[in-house]
Amino acid sequence: MSLTPAPIAEVGFYEPWWMQIVKTLVIFGIGFSLVPLALLYERKLLGRFQNRPGPNRVGPFGTLQPMADIFKLVTKEQFKPRGSIGWLFILSPLLAMVAALATFALVPFSGRPQDIFGTPVGLYGLDSSIGLLIFFAFSSIGAYGVLLGGWSSGSKYSFLGAMRGAAQLISYEVSQGLALLGIVMTAGTLSLSGIVEHQSGMWFILPQVVGAFIFFVATLAEINRTPFDLLEADSELVAGYMTEYGGGRFALYYVAEYVHLVMAGAMFATLFLGGWQLPFGIDPPGWIDPIVVLAKTALIVTLIVWIRASLPKVRYDQLMSFGWKVLLPLATLNALVTAVILVVTDK
Amino acid sequence: MNEVLFFIAGPLAVIAALGVVVLRNPFYAVLSLVAHLLSLAALFLLLYAPFVAVVQVMVYVGAVMVLYVFVNAYVGGATDATGGPAPTLRWLSYAIGIGVLATVVVATLGSSLKAIDSDGAKIGADFGSPGQIGELLLTRFLLPFEAASFLLLVAAVGAVVLARRRRGVLPGEDRMIAALDLLAPTGTGSMREGVGAVNPVPGALSAHITPSTGAGSPPASGTRGDIDGEDD
Repeated sequence: MSLTPAPIAEVGFYEPWWMQIVKTLVIFGIGFSLVPLALLYERKLLGRFQNRPGPNRVGPFGTLQPMADIFKLVTKEQFKPRGSIGWLFILSPLLAMVAALATFALVPFSGRPQDIFGTPVGLYGLDSSIGLLIFFAFSSIGAYGVLLGGWSSGSKYSFLGAMRGAAQLISYEVSQGLALLGIVMTAGTLSLSGIVEHQSGMWFILPQVVGAFIFFVATLAEINRTPFDLLEADSELVAGYMTEYGGGRFALYYVAEYVHLVMAGAMFATLFLGGWQLPFGIDPPGWIDPIVVLAKTALIVTLIVWIRASLPKVRYDQLMSFGWKVLLPLATLNALVTAVILVVTDK
Repeated sequence: MNEVLFFIAGPLAVIAALGVVVLRNPFYAVLSLVAHLLSLAALFLLLYAPFVAVVQVMVYVGAVMVLYVFVNAYVGGATDATGGPAPTLRWLSYAIGIGVLATVVVATLGSSLKAIDSDGAKIGADFGSPGQIGELLLTRFLLPFEAASFLLLVAAVGAVVLARRRRGVLPGEDRMIAALDLLAPTGTGSMREGVGAVNPVPGALSAHITPSTGAGSPPASGTRGDIDGEDD
């Protein structure tokens, strides 16, 4: 039983095993602590967009508001509707949160290993040669959190929300994946850090502007944000798939939603905005890299919140026809044109 | 590490596969299939096939099984609609099942058991990478690959043909559904329908509402006048 060293999924590890455990905990911690930050940022920003101060009572400038929210949710009674299916009802929010947090391990925060306590450490959880596919795999597992949660609640609103969710997530996942085919072909790799490194000359947002647009719109639908927040649709379905949830379980869905928001920003920054790279050949010291990634992430998060403050919801049939009749053909065309250009200009 | 993963994923795959067949509720059977596919993905990881593992999760767990769950949640009930199989069919299914099991066992014992104490097949550095799989699919296995994609295309076209409504929606209406109906679907609560410009019955595109329209149309304004007017 002596196989050659077994690299599961061809992972570029620099670290000893204890550092990998530390990294796991740190990534989990950072992912979790970004949630209250994103929550506060969105509420503050939405408040300013609507010409009101936003939360400003708890703590200085309202900065402790998310802590108060979370404390309230966690200390509430964990109730379960009589018509619900117990174990699925409990499992679904966990599934949604774990799948959302796991994707956070894929974001590369720096290209070079940093020296931490004398040990070179790569600033990412997992740098796999198929990182992009792992991202999609986790996001498709996340869809089960919505689907099973809505189904097992035993309520018609939850059920309708979940069914909408299933259709919407499947439809837009196709466009989301196809939109990235252009950059995968250009970079010639599925590794996220490889894709970032390939953008040292020019960020992919310039040559792949159509792909970036499609990916952004499809991501909005995937992470269930306005104008595609039909899974919740509070004007029609009470709260969609999470109608019957309260307290800590609701908080888990909430966490998943905000991790998705941050992840959408981080993925867009990684894929189209050059990740840790700065323009004009500026080459800062290594510790700047994660800050650059987070700044680009914040930029995209701001854009998404801005969209939420500006746009109304689309209707369900509009959502479907837009996804299948506009985004999907456009994404296919983008992949096709990119392929032709790549072949023609082949060195 | 490998052994631990194997002895978690292997038995789970078998138990989940049994669950697909044994569970009465179709919804749970589908969920069991999801668990089975996830454990298979873990086994693929152990076989140095990360690409296949991830694609398994993406395509089967993420897309195909979501559709199964979707359909089951909509139309599937806990009851067995067929009332169970006929006795002869039941015995036939047992026979076929045992036959398949025997075939697999004989094949395994006869061929791959010899390799159990060896180091396994020699694999290259980029074994199982997307590049290598793509190259194999487009060179050595081009014909099966194309045949499989053609089969899928035929299945998709067949499904569309089967699902298409041949006749109109209303009883007595004998009209083919035109492509225009699908491009501008009615019955979706649009503003045009709201002001009564279109009949909101699907398939009856641009049939203008008159008080004498058949079933499915909302009460016309004349009827409403009768209600709040004097009785006759």
